Amino acid sequence: MLTYIIKRLFFVLFVVWGLTVATFFISQILPGDPAISALGDKATDEMIQNFRDKNGLNQPVLVQYFSYVSRLAVGDLGTSLRTGRPILDDLRDFFPGTLELALAALLIAAAIGIPAGVLAALQQNKLPDVLVRLLALIGGATPIYWLAILLLETLHNKLRWLPGPGRLDAYLIAPPRVTGLVGIDAIFAGDWQVWSDSVMHLILPAFVLGAFSAALLARMTRAAMLETLNQDFVRTARAKGVSNSTVIVRHALRNAFLPVLTVLGGVLGGLLSGAVLTESIFSWPGVGRYVTDAAISLDFPAVMGVTLLAGVAYSLINLATDLLYAVLDPRISYG
Amino acid sequence: MRRRFGAAAALLSVSLLAIGVAQNSRSSTLVYGGDFSDLITLDPGTSYEFSGGLVTDNLYETLVKFEGEDLSTLKPGIATKWTVSDAGSSWKVVFNLRNQKFSSGNPVTADDVVYTFDRAIALKGNGSFLFDEVANMKVGSTKAINKTTLEVTLPKTASPAAFLNLLTFNIGGIVDSAEVKSHVVNNDYGTAWLKNHSAGSGPFVLNRWDQNQQVVLEANPNSRLLPLLSRVILREMKEANTQKIALESGEIDIAENLTPDMVAAKAKDAKFNVYKADSLRLQYLGMNTGADSPFKDARVRQAVRWAVDQDAIVNDLAGGNARKIQTIIPAGLFGYNPATPYKVDIEKAKSLLKAAGKEGGFEFEYLVPQGSCGAGIPCSDLAAKIQSDLAKIGLRAKIRQIVQSELLGIYRAQKAQMVMVGWSPDFPDPDGNATPMSDYGAKSLAWRNAWQNDTAGKLAQQAALEPNPAKRAALYKQLTELQLEDGPFAILYQPKVPLTLAKTVKGYLRNAQGQVRFEKISK
Amino acid sequence: MVEAAPRVPDKRQMSKPARRFWRNPASLIGVVLLAILLFIALLAPLISPDPIAQDLSQRLKPPSSQHLLGTDQLGREVWGRVAHGAIISLQVGVFVTLLSVLVGVSVGLFAGTLGGAWDNALMRVTDIFFAFPSLILAMAIAAALGPNLTNTIIAVAAVSWPSYARLVRAQVLALRDREFVEAARALGTPQVSIALRHLLPNTLTPVLIQSSFDVGQAILTAAGLSFIGFGAQPPTPEWGAMVSETRNFISEAPWASSAPAIAIAISVLAFNLIGDGLRDALDPRNTK
Repeated sequence: MLTYIIKRLFFVLFVVWGLTVATFFISQILPGDPAISALGDKATDEMIQNFRDKNGLNQPVLVQYFSYVSRLAVGDLGTSLRTGRPILDDLRDFFPGTLELALAALLIAAAIGIPAGVLAALQQNKLPDVLVRLLALIGGATPIYWLAILLLETLHNKLRWLPGPGRLDAYLIAPPRVTGLVGIDAIFAGDWQVWSDSVMHLILPAFVLGAFSAALLARMTRAAMLETLNQDFVRTARAKGVSNSTVIVRHALRNAFLPVLTVLGGVLGGLLSGAVLTESIFSWPGVGRYVTDAAISLDFPAVMGVTLLAGVAYSLINLATDLLYAVLDPRISYG
Repeated sequence: MRRRFGAAAALLSVSLLAIGVAQNSRSSTLVYGGDFSDLITLDPGTSYEFSGGLVTDNLYETLVKFEGEDLSTLKPGIATKWTVSDAGSSWKVVFNLRNQKFSSGNPVTADDVVYTFDRAIALKGNGSFLFDEVANMKVGSTKAINKTTLEVTLPKTASPAAFLNLLTFNIGGIVDSAEVKSHVVNNDYGTAWLKNHSAGSGPFVLNRWDQNQQVVLEANPNSRLLPLLSRVILREMKEANTQKIALESGEIDIAENLTPDMVAAKAKDAKFNVYKADSLRLQYLGMNTGADSPFKDARVRQAVRWAVDQDAIVNDLAGGNARKIQTIIPAGLFGYNPATPYKVDIEKAKSLLKAAGKEGGFEFEYLVPQGSCGAGIPCSDLAAKIQSDLAKIGLRAKIRQIVQSELLGIYRAQKAQMVMVGWSPDFPDPDGNATPMSDYGAKSLAWRNAWQNDTAGKLAQQAALEPNPAKRAALYKQLTELQLEDGPFAILYQPKVPLTLAKTVKGYLRNAQGQVRFEKISK
Repeated sequence: MVEAAPRVPDKRQMSKPARRFWRNPASLIGVVLLAILLFIALLAPLISPDPIAQDLSQRLKPPSSQHLLGTDQLGREVWGRVAHGAIISLQVGVFVTLLSVLVGVSVGLFAGTLGGAWDNALMRVTDIFFAFPSLILAMAIAAALGPNLTNTIIAVAAVSWPSYARLVRAQVLALRDREFVEAARALGTPQVSIALRHLLPNTLTPVLIQSSFDVGQAILTAAGLSFIGFGAQPPTPEWGAMVSETRNFISEAPWASSAPAIAIAISVLAFNLIGDGLRDALDPRNTK
């Protein structure tokens, strides 16, 4: 088991390396000059040259690449060409926003998707099943940015049920940073006003971000449940007279959870892409917006930083789900 | 299930309570919503962006400044008096400073000004060129005579008037040298610290800046300029629609980037005021006049000007939040020429094309930036409108909408056929447009469009240094007329900046350089 | 897994899945929706107005008998733009899928057949692509190549091929040691021929199922790219770009952004339903 984990961690390093190569390659074929983007329309040729020298943009590609990788080896992600700050500092500021959003979205997706899938499976081909499947189909097909605009317009602007964009009401001051997750920091600070406001602000963007995943989870759970419900051991348990709810909880759910777990890992990874589209509409300060702004100003060190962060997160989540899989399913073991 | 409802109700009541508590601070806090995503630093020495100026103008005082909407008369700032004298081979500008304090409690002295100016030059930031290239200053040009007297020496190649004007910019904000020096790391002149801290004598101090979220300013108790409100929050909202709904819900008091349609709707709403600030920006089409460009012939460029339906752009797309203008010097500056000889005349345009041997029209690439163009018109809409206008005379524009920096890269390499961009002068003087747009040797806009017209270049140079106003006006008239005929530009409009304010907000004024004095605002 | 005999398809077995497919109401709805989309896409110039003709005096008009789906901020007919956008989105979806199937199946087949170092190397490359946040990669590629529809297709295909590589490789590994492959190998059939004639045909069923879902996903991703400005160029009536251009008018003119958004949703729905139907019909495990 331990050797397996070590092997997998090495693989994470490999992925990081692969991502640096790929991103570097893309940054080289990119048209446009990051120097102009950083310095603006009025910059003189001399200023542009200075900027390029200072940021090593005039060096041969390979030299640039190796100096990047050697700095990366000691944990330095470099400096953003746009904000002029260390990228690590930028990520430290922006990642909690996205993490908060993604976790809330995952929670909402699981809270809606899994029970809906179970319900649909138990009521196969009856009205609840048809409804769940219909909603899941629609949820999986709706463009997330339109859903965001639409819900913001209706639930916030027209009905005023939920607060609008941003993480907190403008008149509230965020609690001192501990984790960067406003909701958690507010608990540490004992500031319940900020806490409730931050939770209310989270609902709408998290729902929008999680809707697609909820649809996916509902479909997966339903399929997995149907499969296990038809399996022999469930039938046997039922024949033995074990009560229906016990069968569902003890046997079917547990086994159906495995395929769902796999999807959950993928869902968390996919949420970052969704964040790119959601964060700008909800004025949410997260890496999704950060990376969009960076891409627009050709700030490739920053894009690379986010890509690496996402790649590592993805690999670690996959590792975690695989390990969890092994824990939950005794048939699987890793040597 | 019932328990969950209970929790939701509790949550709701807590948040209602929250609104109640927050209400107290609401009347003394101004929340200003806008797209401040260009904000990268709050250090006045390196800040050059528009949003940076909006903040630093209120954190730092300048020696001289403009007040209200006026850009023609300099008013006292830290300096109570200033005199320009001709010292033979150079200009001497002497400033008398008033007695006042920085937010730290330190007194503002001439040494602080020397430090500020030398620092700005040494930092080589995005705005440093104003000091070293426009004013020809060096480290050492500024000297403290005593605690309250300051002398700046400028070479004769620089214009003292331009120097005084540019002191009103971000870069002219005087920093507390003792405070800044205590935060220097690795010879950085404290720029890493000043990026998100303040050390000025302006009416506000920086409380906090959360990137891409908000900038919180608090009243500076040590300033002589006491603000009417105790707190100003700049809340970043990129989307126009987001700003609109935040304004409607009362979350923000001012919205800066509403679309023209939203502004028109708000103008009719009794709960809001619309304030249209001027700007010195020109939105224009640049046409490459190089040898292998289809726009080489001046008649083709004229045909474009005869085809573009400026009235529809100004009235329908911009909703009236723009001025129709065809000459290169914006209204509000000396030398503005109000002539608008071009109007939509398809026949005339076609005959010009025919005379230029382009009767059947041609296809070309039309570069357009992403995002919003002047007056809140989405660039894609403006581009589509112009494309359809040009199609009427057989010019087939292939729109390529790319990020601004990529577009500028192509434009600056003289490789664009037609671009649609904006331009604002660096200081309120006609030369800020005339030279870049006319003098090929200045390697700016005329050069980018490969437009080499020696008469135009000479006129611009002459006019820049002409001290006699009447003569200067005549030179600019000549130049703008020449540009109307032969120039590489089709000026589309001069945008206004329509701001939508909650009715309660009073005292908001904004000059054409985008400067707003927060201390005068109440609500 | 697919158990069908490799060479001679049995007529009855082929028709059974077909019957299952056509009897499934979900797949029927999918096919009908797709047929309507195709009809609109092909006949758009005949049945809908000019998508780029502007009339600034008719801006943001609500749906009426004159303007079937209303007009947008430049006074263009939303119906005309939505209808003319159909062919664009369908093309993008189909070409992205074809391209990613081509690349993904080749890589998977190659890796699975050759095994060893090749397999390892190709699959690790695939892993890296999986670890890339897809929209960011697509955005970077679209920015690098320059925004237009062809490049959107390339960018989206670049992020969607790896799943085919994994799928096909898994199939090949499962089949590699089967008797009919062993037999062919014993007869001295060259590797290429084994791969193309014996292995490839047997991987096509799951690829077909996956690709019918992917057409929809590709439409969704491409529209997302256009939404953030890295896709179709104005005034192209691309659905994602239309939602983006009209999103600020959601209060005053909700039809302008909703019509293209619903069009996207319907197309994705159509392909998802067909995918579901195909899977139910072709996957023998799922006999009800």
